[in-house]
Amino acid sequence: MKDRLARIALPIVGILAVVALWAFMSTTVPDLPSPLKTWQDSKVYIMEPLVKRGEMDQGIGLLAFQSLIRVAKGFLLGALIATPLGFLLGLSKAFNRMFDPVIQVLRPISPLAWLPLGLIVFQKSEPAALFTIALCSMWPTVINTMAGVKAIPQEYRNVAKVLRLTGFQTFTKVLLPATLPHMFTGYRLSLGIAWLVIVASEMLTGTPGIGGFLWQEYNSLIYAHILLCILTIGIVGFLLDRMMGFVEVRLRSV
Amino acid sequence: MEVRNVSKSFAGAKGFRDVLSGIHFSVEEGDFVSIVGSMGAGKSTFMNILSGLVKADSGTVTIGGKAVTGIHPRASVVFQNYSLLPWFSALENVRLAVDAAYPDWPRKKQIEQATRFLETVGLSGALHKRPSQLSGGMRQRVAIARAFATDPEILLLDEPFSALDALTRATLQQELIDLCSRAGRAVTVIMITNNLDEALLLSDRIVPMTRPPRASLGTPIEVRLPKPRSASLLMHDPHAVRIRAEVVERLAEFVHTKKPAAPVVPIKTATVAEERAS
Repeated sequence: MKDRLARIALPIVGILAVVALWAFMSTTVPDLPSPLKTWQDSKVYIMEPLVKRGEMDQGIGLLAFQSLIRVAKGFLLGALIATPLGFLLGLSKAFNRMFDPVIQVLRPISPLAWLPLGLIVFQKSEPAALFTIALCSMWPTVINTMAGVKAIPQEYRNVAKVLRLTGFQTFTKVLLPATLPHMFTGYRLSLGIAWLVIVASEMLTGTPGIGGFLWQEYNSLIYAHILLCILTIGIVGFLLDRMMGFVEVRLRSV
Repeated sequence: MEVRNVSKSFAGAKGFRDVLSGIHFSVEEGDFVSIVGSMGAGKSTFMNILSGLVKADSGTVTIGGKAVTGIHPRASVVFQNYSLLPWFSALENVRLAVDAAYPDWPRKKQIEQATRFLETVGLSGALHKRPSQLSGGMRQRVAIARAFATDPEILLLDEPFSALDALTRATLQQELIDLCSRAGRAVTVIMITNNLDEALLLSDRIVPMTRPPRASLGTPIEVRLPKPRSASLLMHDPHAVRIRAEVVERLAEFVHTKKPAAPVVPIKTATVAEERAS
């Protein structure tokens, strides 16, 4: 009982402490809105989350939804490339030697660097944003899938051989199920990165969504809304991670 | 099935190590042959060569006059560590083997075949359980059902019962005998084991394996005892006692006679590193 109380009470104490720090900071930093002002200015966006008043002037739920759709598209595009790439890297040593250096160089490149290239190539902001999200978020999936394939016990490969499974059967019945938990670890990490990238790409392209709204409100000097966006981004990211983590744990228990 | 002059070596830290050398071995159709040797004698390597998982450096393996390349279509292998796929139920594990052997059968017939063999080994209640929900003995039963469900002509058993307790081992040995006698055709069985009683109980011939490096096979010892045999027969029958003594003596010889140390062929460090990396 005491343990359960602590489990609920302690996080609340932690949150209150951070809000208190924020409130204190807002008294010293002139332009930083206090928690109360943030709430007052943002109330309408939170209480009517699905109302659309203008291109950017929308309820927070609607903005987050637009961003989520964009993230989903970019993430799926990335996963569609990353998963087979990870398998190839794990299965073929020659392929691995050929492309490992390229991957190691591409991996640490920031979304801010990719986005202008995307804009040059695609000429439009939406595909450029997807391109950036896909390119930045795919690496954890590539690397985890590769590691998963490499970690498949020889025992399972031997089973595939002695049962004389076809290439397709070996892939669907042995390699894929054996790699699935690793793949999902990759997906979870990739989705986290995709969500990080969304804000940067929306800021630079000015597309409607949580990041676009954040940037617009900064330019309109409505600073309370920046904090609203930051909190929303954090909470949505947390929920996404929990969701993927849940799937991952279920897969691992098999 | 005939094995001529098979050798195999692996690259080790100090150079190439000859694990098997100059192995001659032949099995008639329908024979049950056991290869008995101590731990780490290269038995599993030999089994992997027979099953086609590993290629021998030299020598040939022929079945029915034809050279073996890769896995023989009518051979089944049972491994010591069960080797079931953990994401499939017992039934799905067996059905996968049936599907691979008989791809044109309708799914329903494949499931019937798999179910029938699982029922034969007493697993009708565990058809839909995953390997992790089964005991060691039950897992090996699934593996045996999987091996028989493809109607094999040749059965290769790599220490199939050595991970099991004595009681389970005895039950499974009996089930193996039943399955062999019930199969529609003569099944040729080659079993690798480190358990002499098991070899005496099941086989027509026992082949002792010498110690590595450069392990090879000794002269086969015929076991002329009526089948099925019981454990008590093996304890008291004079012929059985004599055979046991003979095999023990042979294996002891291998241990005690000092063979000239196998030459370790030095190889360049770079080659070893290359070999490991690949």
